[in-house]
Amino acid sequence: MIVKFILNGKPVEVDVSPRETLINTLRFKLRVKSVKRGCERGECGSCTVLVNGNPVTSCILLTIQVEGAEVTTVEGLVGDEIFERLAKSFIETGAVQCGFCTPGILLTAYAGIKQGRIKSAEDAKEYIGNLCRCTGYVKIIEAVVKAASEVRSSGRV
Amino acid sequence: MYAIPSSVEVLVARDLRDALKLASELEDARVMAGGTDLVVDLKTGRLRPRYVIYIGGLRELKYIRDDGSSLHIGALTTIQELLDSEVVASRTPLLRAVAEKFAYWQIRNVATIGGNICNASPAADMAVPLLVYEAFIRAESVEGSRLIPVREFFKGPRQTALRRGEIVTEIIVPYRGLEGSGYAYFKAGRRRGHDISLVAVACVVKVGDGVISDVRVALNSVAPTPVRATSVERALTGKKPSLEVIEEASKLVVHDISPISDVRAPAEYRAYMARLLTREALLEALARVR
Amino acid sequence: MGEFKFIGKRTPRKDAEAKVTGALKYTYDLEVPGMLIGRIVRSPYAFADIRRIDVSEAVRMGAVVITPDDVPQKPYNPRLVSVHEVTFKDTYILTYRPRYLGEPVAAVAAPSEELAQRAAESIRLEFERIYKPILDPFEAIKPDAPKIHERIMRGDKWIEVENNIAARLDYEEGDVEKGFEEADVVVERTFKTGKRYHMQLEPKAVLVVPEPGGKITIYTTTQSIHNTRILISQLFDIPESRVNVVRVPIGGSFGSSIQTNYLVPIAVALALKAKKPVKIAYTREEDMLDHSNFVFYFKIKVGARRDGVFTAAEFTNILDVGAHQVQPYPLLGTSLGWFVSMYKWRNIRYRGIAVYTNKVPGCAMRGYGAPEVQWAVETIVDEIAEELGVDPIELRLKNYVGRGDVFWGQGPTVRSIIKSDGVPELLLRGKEIINWDKRGHPSQKKGRFRRGIGVGRGFHTSGAGGPISGEVVDYTGCILKLNEDGTLDYITALQDHGGGTLDAHVKIIAEELGVPPELINIATASTETTPYDVCTHASRGTYVGGECARRAAQIVKQKILETALRIIGRAVNPEALRIGYDDRLKQAVVYVEGTDVKIPLAEIARTAWQRNWGTIGAFVSYRATSAPPSFTVYFVEVEVDTWTGKVRPVRVVAGADVGTPINPDMVEGQLHGGFAMAWGMAFTENTRYDPSTGEIAGRGLITDYKIPTAADVPGPEEFTVILANTYEPTGPFGAKGLGEAATNPAVAAILNALYNAIGVRFYELPVTPDKIVEALKERGELEW
Repeated sequence: MIVKFILNGKPVEVDVSPRETLINTLRFKLRVKSVKRGCERGECGSCTVLVNGNPVTSCILLTIQVEGAEVTTVEGLVGDEIFERLAKSFIETGAVQCGFCTPGILLTAYAGIKQGRIKSAEDAKEYIGNLCRCTGYVKIIEAVVKAASEVRSSGRV
Repeated sequence: MYAIPSSVEVLVARDLRDALKLASELEDARVMAGGTDLVVDLKTGRLRPRYVIYIGGLRELKYIRDDGSSLHIGALTTIQELLDSEVVASRTPLLRAVAEKFAYWQIRNVATIGGNICNASPAADMAVPLLVYEAFIRAESVEGSRLIPVREFFKGPRQTALRRGEIVTEIIVPYRGLEGSGYAYFKAGRRRGHDISLVAVACVVKVGDGVISDVRVALNSVAPTPVRATSVERALTGKKPSLEVIEEASKLVVHDISPISDVRAPAEYRAYMARLLTREALLEALARVR
Repeated sequence: MGEFKFIGKRTPRKDAEAKVTGALKYTYDLEVPGMLIGRIVRSPYAFADIRRIDVSEAVRMGAVVITPDDVPQKPYNPRLVSVHEVTFKDTYILTYRPRYLGEPVAAVAAPSEELAQRAAESIRLEFERIYKPILDPFEAIKPDAPKIHERIMRGDKWIEVENNIAARLDYEEGDVEKGFEEADVVVERTFKTGKRYHMQLEPKAVLVVPEPGGKITIYTTTQSIHNTRILISQLFDIPESRVNVVRVPIGGSFGSSIQTNYLVPIAVALALKAKKPVKIAYTREEDMLDHSNFVFYFKIKVGARRDGVFTAAEFTNILDVGAHQVQPYPLLGTSLGWFVSMYKWRNIRYRGIAVYTNKVPGCAMRGYGAPEVQWAVETIVDEIAEELGVDPIELRLKNYVGRGDVFWGQGPTVRSIIKSDGVPELLLRGKEIINWDKRGHPSQKKGRFRRGIGVGRGFHTSGAGGPISGEVVDYTGCILKLNEDGTLDYITALQDHGGGTLDAHVKIIAEELGVPPELINIATASTETTPYDVCTHASRGTYVGGECARRAAQIVKQKILETALRIIGRAVNPEALRIGYDDRLKQAVVYVEGTDVKIPLAEIARTAWQRNWGTIGAFVSYRATSAPPSFTVYFVEVEVDTWTGKVRPVRVVAGADVGTPINPDMVEGQLHGGFAMAWGMAFTENTRYDPSTGEIAGRGLITDYKIPTAADVPGPEEFTVILANTYEPTGPFGAKGLGEAATNPAVAAILNALYNAIGVRFYELPVTPDKIVEALKERGELEW
């Protein structure tokens, strides 16, 4: 069946079986490779995408569930002011090691900052449940808190 | 496995009537809301139904309404929506407390209250506050609609009182009469970050004329279904609240539970935590009483 | 340290942009036209003999199918780091005799994941015999225990396996009995670990592409492209010149891809049969079935004199190998090495045996026995300190193997003298920061929440180099070439698992040549374009790879200076020529101090190109003559909720002696990550086996394999990193490794802190909340 949604700002139309998962549609039909398969069971967060601005694990979402919705991956946030600050903060802090969890965590942090949910390290720990095995999270939290405070002082949120 | 096998046919319900029609006609069908439990089971092969009836697109089942004595919550309301709702925070704060400890943000954005209780895991998070509030589950079918008291809803591990053809459309959570009561929720997991509960306890306590006039305690992960700790409740009703009374009553929870040992925890620990968290929840709830 | 232009500066890693924009492609992201998807059929029994594999349905579906009859039946060892003579081979690409639940017995490939899955599920296995799985090594070594393997190969020889013993190693030095007699205090303890799983975020994957001319190209999650190439070449009798393994970014590894993983030869076999590209990617559950860590059982006895000097140590090490050998034999050696190099025991006896069980094969996991050994040793040292009534830090300082001492971290055949040692500095600074002297004694601590502080001191080697070649292959190589515009291409087979190794090399080259790091390219690498490197493991990336890069840079520097001389033409004394980074011009220049002689490198490169003078480059193959220890010290403060048994980290001070830190933020990142891994090892991580079926409890879902989340670890305010002021003269610009040292002693510190909080010592990991509650109950503390 045809499912129509907005991917990174552009309308897309895909012909999918109703049982197709969003991650498969994104990776195979729409060639979005930043969405990673870490566990396929909704546990690790590497497959996180934003649906109408909220982070979800695309590995356990069916594509039919995003009919008419706005789906965002990191490819679509390049150029976005909040994302740029966040990405820059990650790079400068050294919060990126192997990079596999990075897109998922960036999206989650982005949504948390944009929605005003993440201000402090405690908030960041509460909202970022994604798994990372390399960094021990310390620099990730540091980078997110720094970006959140920059965004707030710039008056954008 | 990376995908739901092709032997499973997913049908998209156009509206509620369509969903009910499908549910009544199809053998071996599961209803899917957010899918956070079901899709995992379909991909791992734990469940292999012939059909999945997807109702997640039915916006008419997503709402939170206050009729002055109860909250009417559409079955497709997500856990995050419950967590963010002001009316839930003020009328049924225990629901909010449970939603706050539910999995992690990505899952909360998709998982629904209806889906969580219909999956009927012994560890079902949302079952616990609903048992405390003595909620009603509205089950609709082509034949009509009925209200199932939550206490009759959970029949066994992943078994509910729903008959074939029935779909849960709404959960009614009464709050009238609980004004001034105190509530508490404790969930034990293996990590501090998102986890399935090893044991969780929720309670509500009301005090009148210096004695406990109403007390409701519910637990999950310590029995084949989420349960009300009636032994504890009986021991507390009508009593003057004190540390001794609470401690003695909490120990009785052992009569209401039958924990098992599994990969997550040994039974003895679960039983111990059930006693401990029951006590702590009661104490905290009493402290909140106004 | 301040004199470096590039080393020690915090700079963005070169692949950071690609990682944050999602542009970086990992193995699973790669696709080629016409590619088939492979799926592996796995044994549902842990210990069985298969009579027949019925593939007719899968064939009818049009899938490409392979069974053990379709692949070379040579036993192999997936890891080629040990020399041939001590390589134990008991693995087959596909087998009729599975020895663990999940072992590959057949495989299919089809044009889509769906078809491949259906084809795999259609395959029927008929069993000749199903045995009860042996999951306890102590049961496995009993004389009447069934043999998991009858014959295996060691090098070129077939050997009989007795009592399911995979390997042994014994060692003695001095007179242990006499040593214990001299002792005033003797402590003997047994320790047991869980069976941890690496849980690198990227599940293993491989893509095999048959090329024209009988070549094959392999892309896979690996820490060693060259060993992958050699193994495939040996297994399939294809000359190495026709096997090319390309380095692909990897989503973490922690030792799980030192060996060539089982899916690689399987994918090669499928691709050769299908004559089409084949990709296989594991589900997370399959990844957990591919390899996990060993289970360690230790019995350790240590004697000490009243004055605090250790007199003897006896160490019995029983490794639960799992169903196949990857590297238990060298692990017996390194376990001994870690033990011997922790403290000066003066007299030692070691008995090591590695035992087969019907579990997922064990492979190295970050530290390769060091976290386990250092946990046990640091626990005993704390206990001795308590018995003697001395400060645990003083006792450590008195006995540890440090500067000037003989060190053989990776095993008895690799010895050197320690030249850099930051241990005293780290212990003394660390203890101040965490308020060690105020930590109190557990008997003083009451109430529900109790805090404790513990210390753990440890190390890891920087690689496995040595003065004489022993049982392990360890050398590397690189190519460095000057491009026509003065930028450089740096070509190495080393892999970056995430720790920033290659960025460190770039800084080293930059420092040597004065070329800014932005102008040094980390080239794409494959086996056909790089000199041999054994593997990125053993924390050798910076120390060995970095030094190789530095030597290449030195050679290139010489050639640049010679070329510069040709350009200058005047009678400049060659020894007066220098190359360095010019702050004003923001590039490398060749110059003579005090004169007007100055030529930008870009100009030199361009001139050499235009005048047909040839390429300036270097090809270096390098073996380090030692593997110096990087010391790490952890001070951890925990808070125990004695009612629930839950523990949380309050404060961590992590001290590292890495010599010269090349990438300071990467150093910190390794310590943060190393601590998190240790926290999981201490409290939650274990794959448990169903005793009757040999299946991993929880069916391998990571729902039940808990690694720490952000909520479980300290935040930025609670984690302090201190770096020692040391310089390793044998390392590039004084640098040593860190990857494993970053985690090794952390578990010890955590468990010692736990003791300081509640006065209970645990000798079995993980210490789950119920165990803490049980221990407190036994002490009569919790009334109910």
